Amino acid sequence: MKLLSKVAAVGALTLIAACSNNDPSALGGGGGAGGSLAPGSPSDPRSPAYFQQTVGDRILFSVDQSTLTPQAQTILQGQADWLLANPDFVANIEGHADEQGTREYNLALGARRANAAREYLISRGVAGNRLTTVSYGKERPIEICSTEECYSKNRRAVTVLTGSTLG
Amino acid sequence: MMKLLTSLLVGLTLLSTSAYAQSGPLRLEIDEGIIEPMPFAVPSFVPDGPAAAQYAQDISRVIVSDLTGTGLFREISSDAFISRVSSFDAPVQFADWKAINAQALVTGAVNVSGKRLTVRFRVWDVFSGQELGNGLQFAGTTDGWRRMAHKVADQVYSRITGEGAYFDSRVAFVSESGPKDQRRKRLAIMDYDGANVQYLTDSAAIVLAPRFSPTGDRLLYTSYETGQPRIYVLDIGRVKRQELNTQEGTMSFSPRFSPDGRSIVYSLTQGGNTDLWKMDLASGQSVRLTNTPAIETAPSYAPDGSQIVFESDRSGTPQLYIMPANGGEATRISFGQGRYGTPVWSPRGDLIAFTKQNKGRFHIGVMRTDGSEERLLTASFLDEGPTWSPNGRVIMFTRETQGASGRSTLYSVDISGRNLRPVRTPDGGSDPSWGPLQN
Amino acid sequence: METGTKISAIAHVGLIGWALFGGTFRSEPLPMAVQDVSVISAEQFATMTAQREAPEVPTDPVELQQPVEPDEIDTPEPTSEDPPEPEPVAQPEPEPEPEVEPETVEISPEPELIEQPPTLEEPEPEMAALPTPPGPEAEPSPADKIAPEQIAPPPPEAKPDDIETPPVSLDEGAETQQEQQDQTAPEEAAPEIVTEAEEVVDPAPRTSPRPRVRPNRPAPTPEPEVAETPEPAPTEPAQNEQAINDALAEALGNGTEPSGPPLTSGEKDAMRVAVSRCWNVGSLSTDALETVVVVGFSLSRDGKVVGGSLQLLDSTGGSAASAKQAYEAARRAILRCGAKGYDLPADKYDQWQDIEITFNPERMRIK
Repeated sequence: MKLLSKVAAVGALTLIAACSNNDPSALGGGGGAGGSLAPGSPSDPRSPAYFQQTVGDRILFSVDQSTLTPQAQTILQGQADWLLANPDFVANIEGHADEQGTREYNLALGARRANAAREYLISRGVAGNRLTTVSYGKERPIEICSTEECYSKNRRAVTVLTGSTLG
Repeated sequence: MMKLLTSLLVGLTLLSTSAYAQSGPLRLEIDEGIIEPMPFAVPSFVPDGPAAAQYAQDISRVIVSDLTGTGLFREISSDAFISRVSSFDAPVQFADWKAINAQALVTGAVNVSGKRLTVRFRVWDVFSGQELGNGLQFAGTTDGWRRMAHKVADQVYSRITGEGAYFDSRVAFVSESGPKDQRRKRLAIMDYDGANVQYLTDSAAIVLAPRFSPTGDRLLYTSYETGQPRIYVLDIGRVKRQELNTQEGTMSFSPRFSPDGRSIVYSLTQGGNTDLWKMDLASGQSVRLTNTPAIETAPSYAPDGSQIVFESDRSGTPQLYIMPANGGEATRISFGQGRYGTPVWSPRGDLIAFTKQNKGRFHIGVMRTDGSEERLLTASFLDEGPTWSPNGRVIMFTRETQGASGRSTLYSVDISGRNLRPVRTPDGGSDPSWGPLQN
Repeated sequence: METGTKISAIAHVGLIGWALFGGTFRSEPLPMAVQDVSVISAEQFATMTAQREAPEVPTDPVELQQPVEPDEIDTPEPTSEDPPEPEPVAQPEPEPEPEVEPETVEISPEPELIEQPPTLEEPEPEMAALPTPPGPEAEPSPADKIAPEQIAPPPPEAKPDDIETPPVSLDEGAETQQEQQDQTAPEEAAPEIVTEAEEVVDPAPRTSPRPRVRPNRPAPTPEPEVAETPEPAPTEPAQNEQAINDALAEALGNGTEPSGPPLTSGEKDAMRVAVSRCWNVGSLSTDALETVVVVGFSLSRDGKVVGGSLQLLDSTGGSAASAKQAYEAARRAILRCGAKGYDLPADKYDQWQDIEITFNPERMRIK
C-alpha cells in the first residue's frame, strides 16, 4: 500500500509538473514581476485572463479589410507564443464586422478575418488542429454607437481560449 | 386676264397643296399626367345574420386596408356615402357614387353558418356604370376570414389595376428584441400585412435570413444553434426543422431554393474563403458553383431557374454578377458608384432588387437584369435585404436606425418608389422573405 | 397668247393636275382598321373574366347587358338578400367532408349572360394547417378551404334611368377633394357612355376626313404646310387669300365650314393640358405604364366628345391587356375633362373636330 500511494503521489506530482509550465519564454511583454503568481489571476501568465488582458485576445481591422496590420501581427505573435507555451489550450477565433455592410457579406468578411488570424498563428508554429474559426458577421458588436470609434472596435478577430486538454 | 389666270393658277395651286396636305385630325401627344390614388368605396359587406355581422365588418375593413396600403387607392369613408347598401342584389345607384367621386365600388355579403363562412362580392366601375368582371364567392371556415378578405381584395386590385395579386401571402422574417449588442432573434412568419404572427424558433440561437420555398411550405434559414452558422430547412406546417448536411469545419449560410424547389444554392466557407455551392435536396449531394478567392454570397435564382445572380467582391468591392445556374462564367451587372449586395430576382423576371451602399448611405434599388436602368427607391442610414411581393410590384426590406438605441423595422415600398411605409411587427423585424400567393 | 405663256400654262395645269390627282392616290389611309383592337369575342371575354389573376376590364359591354328600354326598370326585390340566381349554385355547394378538395361550380348562364359558364381553374389543395408555435398547444387549426364560385351578374340596371335621375348636386358631395375638375358633372358622362357602347358594335368607319384647307400662314407668304410633297409654285400674297379660301371651300364642297386661321400652339397646348389634367396613371399596372396608346375621338361644336367616336387607334409596347388598361385611363381622361366641353375656338372647329392623342407614359413611370 505504501508503495502504491507513493507511486500515486509521484505520479500526481509528475502530472502536475507536466501541467505547469516552467518555460520562461511564456513570460511575454510586461513581466509578472508582481510575485503573486496566484493561478488563474491575470498576473498568472498561464491563465486565460492573462492571455486576454496582457497578451491581448483581439486584433482590429480596417474597413472592409482582412489584412493584418503590424499591430495585429504583434499581438498575434504574442498569442502564438502563449499558445505554444500553454499547449493544453485550444482556441476558437471569432471574426466580426461592423454594421456598415449587408448581413451575409459581413458573415463572409468575419470569416476572412478569423481565418487571417488563424493562418498567422499557424505560421508562427501553433498547430492547426488547435485552432477553429467562426464568424459572427455583424451580429455581435461590442460597441453599439454608430460612429467610427465604435465601428473600429467591432471590426475584430477575437481568440477565445477553450478547454484545457491534456496531451 | 392675266390677273384672272394668275388667280386661277394660285387657286389651283392652293387646292392641290391642300389636297396634299390632307389634314387628318388634330394630333397631340401627352406625356405627362397626374398620379393619384383612385378613390374607391367599400360599403360594409352585408351580413346575413347576427353571427356574420362582425365578420362582415372586419372583412370589409381588411379589404379597405389592403387596397389603401398599396398607395394606389384612396378610401372614401362611409360618412360620405349617399346610398346605403343594405342588400347585395339591389341595383347600384351609380349617381350616388359618382356624386361622392368614387371611381370604384365594391359591394359584398357575408354568410356564416356554424364554422362555415361565405363571402360574395362584386366590383363596379362607377364611371361607366358597369360591373367590372363577374361576381365571385369564396367559401371557407370562419378562422380563415382574413384570407378570404385578402382574396376579395386581390380580385378588386387585379381587375382595376391589371397587376397580379399579392395580398393573400405570408412573410417570413426574423423577430428581434433587446439591445444591439445582445440581440435576441427568432424566426417568425406572418400575413403580409402583419397579422397572425407566429414564432417558429426560440431565441436561444441567432437565426438569419429565412427564405420561402416556391410553394410556401418550407423555409430555409441559417442558425448558430450548433455554434457555427449552418443551414436548416423547416417544414412550416409541422414546424419541424432539419439541418442540411454540409461539410464539417465549415460555415454554411445564405441558402435559397431553386424555382422547382428541389435544390438549394448556398454559401460555404472553407479556410476563410466563401463560395457558392448547390445541393440537391433529395440526395443531399452538393456541387461547387464558384471557385475564387473572393467572397461569393447572397445568391438568387431567376424565376425560370436558368441563372443565378449573386454578390461577389472579386473586383475588389462587392458587386452583382449573373452566371448560369450550374456555374460557369459570371457577368458583372452592377456598375454604379458604391457597393452592391443582396440581389433578388423579381418573380416577374424583369428586374433585380439589391442593396447599395454609397457615401455612407444605404439604398434599396432595382435594375434590369442586364444592369441597365438602375433606380434607387430608398435612402437611409441602413436599408438592406429586399424581397419581392408575389406580383413583382412591391418590395419589403429591413431598415435599421443608427446609434445605441437603433432598432430594425420592416418596410415596404412600391416599385415606383412611392408609398414607403413600415410593416408593423410585435418587436423589431429584419430579413423579410415574401412567400408566394396562397391557394 | 404667246407660245411661252401657253406652254407655261399647260405645264402648270399639268403639274397642278398631277398634284391634285396624284395626291389623291397617295392620301393617308383612313384610320379604320384599328377597330379590331377594341373588340373582343365573347369567348375571349369569358376566358378573361374566368381567370383570377389580372383579369381585364371589359370594354365590350354588349355582352353584359341587353339594350334596356327606359321604362323597363328591372330591379329585383331589394329586400331579398338571397337572390334567386345563386340558388342553382347551391346544388354543388356542399363540399366533400374533408374540406380538402377544391370546389368547382358551374353556373347555368343567365339569359342575358352571353359568356359561357366559366370553368374555374382548380384551386390547389387548400393550404396546410397553420403552424402552431412550438409549445404546449398541439391542436392544429382547421384547414381553410377557399374556393371561388361564380355568381350570376345582377340584372341589368336601367341605365337610362340612372342617367335621367336628376343628378345630385355634386360639388357639395361629401367628398372633400375634387382633384379632377370635372367630377362635378357625371350626369353628362353617362350619355356618352351609353352611346359609347354602341360604338363598339358599330362597324361603320369613322367619317372620312374631308380634305381640309391648311393655309397655315396667315400672312404674306402662304406656304402650304407639310403634308407630303413639295409644294408647287409659291402663292400670292395675303390679299388674295380670303377669296381663294372661299374658292377652295367651294371647290371642296364644304361651303359652310369655316376653318379660320390655323390653331395656335397655345391653343393646342391648352387642349393638351386640359386632357392631361385628367389623365391619372396612378392605378395603372407597371405593364400599362410601358404601353403607348393612340386614342381618337371627335368633338361637337361645343367641344364635347361625340358619343361613339372615342376609340383606340394604336398601341405600342406592353400586352393586349395592358393596352386595354392604358386605353381605359386615356378614355377616362378625355371624357372626364371634356364633360363640360373643351374650350377650343369655334371658328377653327374644322381643325379640331377630329383629334388623335398619343398617351405616352414613359415619363410617368418612375419617381
